[in-house]
Amino acid sequence: MPAQKILVYPHLLLKTLCRPVGGIDGEIAGLIGDLIDTMREGPGSVGVAAPQIGVTLRVCVVDVSASRQGKENNHGLLVMVNPEIAAREGAAVMREGCMSIPDYTGDVERATGITVRFLDGDGMPREVRASGFEAVAIQHEMDHLDGVLFLDRIASLKTGLFRRKNYR
Amino acid sequence: MSECRKENLAHFAVTIISKDRPGIVADVTEVLFRLGCNIEDSSCTMLGGDFAMILVVSHEKPFAKALLADEFKGLHERTGLAAYVRTLAEDEICPVKGEGELCLISVYGSDRPGIVYRVTRALADRGVNITDLNTRLIGTKEEPVYVLMLEAALPEGITVEDAEGLLEKLKKELNVEIGVRAITPVAL
Repeated sequence: MPAQKILVYPHLLLKTLCRPVGGIDGEIAGLIGDLIDTMREGPGSVGVAAPQIGVTLRVCVVDVSASRQGKENNHGLLVMVNPEIAAREGAAVMREGCMSIPDYTGDVERATGITVRFLDGDGMPREVRASGFEAVAIQHEMDHLDGVLFLDRIASLKTGLFRRKNYR
Repeated sequence: MSECRKENLAHFAVTIISKDRPGIVADVTEVLFRLGCNIEDSSCTMLGGDFAMILVVSHEKPFAKALLADEFKGLHERTGLAAYVRTLAEDEICPVKGEGELCLISVYGSDRPGIVYRVTRALADRGVNITDLNTRLIGTKEEPVYVLMLEAALPEGITVEDAEGLLEKLKKELNVEIGVRAITPVAL
């Protein structure tokens, strides 16, 4: 289960609506392992979605526990299969960057708190109430499952072009 | 503009200012398209009743600046827009990437002379590099309010709190509100 290459826009799979997963089998377990390894390998990465490594299934992983913005408030490693947002509240703007869109960052408004339901890596249903940076990261990764990039959500191109650095 | 792999390209800065009307961008970019220039970077906006365009354009070498200047001279004679073209040196082509924290500084208060100058001088004296800046006069004729928003890259060793402290005494002197907050991007 090695780290996979991150696809970069304009790769078509990044704009593809991903299919739900039927159940956790060996193939899905392997995909989850690849996603975790890819996230661990990415510089300061706090999440990876399956389409970013070329698999158009509704699976993503998020872990903000090692990041500066998320270390105080998180659920550790979240493996999310078929995730759905059941509730959202508040709104705040954060400047986001994405491994699939190198060297660009933009301001995106997202909910500050979400309740998300999904199957975990063992196929067990879970419900998580996330807030702050973790909520932003989950929304960003879940967008990938719908073929939505942060470029679809930014209001202005004016910002950006800053080096991605010091993410941890 | 993720990398600077453009050895065979000539780069120019083009500045356009014109009384605002529909079609300025189309007129200017039609000239660039016809000459085979690429728009590498640009920022265009309304300023008062004018429309201003700043662009970095490139063209495969050899390419003479005079070709651009002549086309814009024609456009000036037809429409009145003013254009200025400058050749960029090699070290002006790629964006300067800051090392330190990025922050957003907002300043507002009753209009008075010197708000922009005093704030930006205080920042410049500490090596803070402004990456974006906009100002606007709002409020009423009787009570004009000046608003300044800028983004800046702090040098290594200066924190957002330091930047805030740096501007603290200007709040009283200029009688304005000053806010500083970090906008360092998050990687997802």
